Amino acid sequence: MPWSNQSGGGGGPWGGPPKNPGPWGSGPQGGGPSGGGQRPPDLEDILRRSQDTIKNLFPGAGGGRVGGKGAALVALGIVAIWLATGFYTVRPNEVGLNLVFGRYVGTTLPGLNYNWPAPIGSVIKPTVTEVKTMEIGVRSMADQRRGARSPVDEALMLTGDENIVDIDFAVQWQISPTAPQDYVFNLRGPEATVKAVAESVMREVIGKRNIQPILTTDRQIIETEVRTRMQDVLDRYKAGVVIRLVQLLRADPPAEVIDAFRDVQAARQDQDRAKNEADTYASSIVPVARGDAQRVVQEAEAYRSQNVAEAKGAASRFDQIYAEYKNAPQVTRERMFLETMERVFGRVDKIIIDPKNGGVVPYLPLNELSRPSSPPQRPGQLGSNAARPQDAPR
Amino acid sequence: MNSALVKIVGGVIVAAAAIILFGAAFTVSQTQYGLVLRFGETVRTISNPGLYFKWPLIDAVLTFDKRILDLDRPAQEVIASDQKRIVVDTFTRYRVDNPLLFYQTMQSIEGANRRLASIVDSTLRGVIGDATFTTVVKTDRDGLMQKMRSEVNQQAKGFGIEIVDVRIRRADLPEANQKAVFQRMQTERQREAADIRAQGQEQSLGIRARADREVATIRGEANQKSEELRGAADAERNAIFAAAFGKDPDFFTFYRSMQAYETGLKAGDTRMVLSPDSDFFRYFSDPAGRRASSPTPAN
Repeated sequence: MPWSNQSGGGGGPWGGPPKNPGPWGSGPQGGGPSGGGQRPPDLEDILRRSQDTIKNLFPGAGGGRVGGKGAALVALGIVAIWLATGFYTVRPNEVGLNLVFGRYVGTTLPGLNYNWPAPIGSVIKPTVTEVKTMEIGVRSMADQRRGARSPVDEALMLTGDENIVDIDFAVQWQISPTAPQDYVFNLRGPEATVKAVAESVMREVIGKRNIQPILTTDRQIIETEVRTRMQDVLDRYKAGVVIRLVQLLRADPPAEVIDAFRDVQAARQDQDRAKNEADTYASSIVPVARGDAQRVVQEAEAYRSQNVAEAKGAASRFDQIYAEYKNAPQVTRERMFLETMERVFGRVDKIIIDPKNGGVVPYLPLNELSRPSSPPQRPGQLGSNAARPQDAPR
Repeated sequence: MNSALVKIVGGVIVAAAAIILFGAAFTVSQTQYGLVLRFGETVRTISNPGLYFKWPLIDAVLTFDKRILDLDRPAQEVIASDQKRIVVDTFTRYRVDNPLLFYQTMQSIEGANRRLASIVDSTLRGVIGDATFTTVVKTDRDGLMQKMRSEVNQQAKGFGIEIVDVRIRRADLPEANQKAVFQRMQTERQREAADIRAQGQEQSLGIRARADREVATIRGEANQKSEELRGAADAERNAIFAAAFGKDPDFFTFYRSMQAYETGLKAGDTRMVLSPDSDFFRYFSDPAGRRASSPTPAN
């Protein structure tokens, strides 16, 4: 790393003389970027050991000292460069899995790391932070072109009450950050396994339920149950996969019967509408009836007050006339008769025929009498007839 | 010359050593088992990954996948114990747990897949055939899968294979039955819709009827009260009249008759044919005033 080299060796930008040498030193024979890194192996030690190994391998050549020191230096340089190729970086979204002779020896974190170079060591760097999305049942154009399994088959599922629902769902998953080695080493085709498990678990969960809750209330419960069950199964496989989320994108009746389901919704609307209309009717007629009732009662009250008052008035009038009459009964009676007759005859049409003269046949032009006049009242009927307001005395 | 010969001999030795070394060393990776065969006979089974050596040219190395392997079976129609047909497809996850046995019985993964496929299929038929349709679809799919797993595992033990899981991916109705289900779903929904609409009608009619009844009750009660009030009024009026008029019935009759003539005989609608003999006209012909018959109204 150039930064640590600068501050360690040549003095920092602050100008002060370096009190200590850089924390990693600056071994020139390490070559290249040995100044930084997490924890580089002790390179000098390695070099010394490999030197010894070479010496031990070729004792004859070592003893002969044929090429002299030059050849040894060249060999050393080659070994050093080869060892230096063991450095590698792990990006922030990855982890590094170190293999030595094919055996998994450890996990490294993002940053600069070291492992034995090829052919001894190798590194696998799976992306662990990326959340992958897998959609199941969704009809995408790419699927159709590939001639993949018909998504309709994927999407149609049998429910517990032997109905069929059309389900699209998405699974969000990622490689377990705590056990990426499981993902890499334990399964052949881990992605296909995730998909197969997702389908299997979803169908199992859907199969336990009836269609109505699936379409309406149980969506969340289904999502949670599928997620936990998928996680259980994958954990049993030691798949190194974390299921983040299961999402029901669509839970509908199949296309063949969706009209019938929509009609049920329409029927619910119809039901509400009929009810509302009836309520409207009820609330429009009942208050009117109450108003009418009040009117009828008030009218009766009015009738009562009026008639009682009128009766009292009439009675009082009679009492007064009677008081006068008692003083001079005969005269008063005559006077009243004559006055009344005067008024009556004064206004009616009258024909006076003297029967003693005889010979006149009364001819009544009935067609001119459009309305029969009321028959004369007899005094005996008066009490009961007086109940009718139109007959009340004025 | 001598030193040149030494150089050549040294070079040959180094080259030979290198060839032997490379021929002898081999690695078994994290995801593999290794089998070392000497003239076809297994001399060593390697389960741990790492660097190993063998005799060059004499020994051969075979590797097998150590990971969990997959076997997906296409959908097939199976008959449940209640004679219903189900289309089931399964997937199997297994792993080689005894590479030597596996090599002896199966030779290769492909061979193992073929053998396992027939085992899984026959187990599927057996297990589903013993279960009812409802068990498969609804009540105990998990239990059936466990049963299949243990049965397949039992049969695969002799092949150095461990069955990790056998799962039912789908258990659906055959195409023809699917159509019947669609029809049933449709008719069920139609019935439901009709039911809901009828309920709406029922509620509507009920609400209207209750409203009508309420209206009738309100009106009836109002009329009752009205009649009661009117009756009371009439009674009171009669009582008042009776009290007043009872003082002199004879005069009352006369008084009331006078009133009745006055109000009953109106101008325009009454025509009277009178005899001059009537009481009213008693002074007409006789100033002494003899009584005559009363006037008779015409019609």
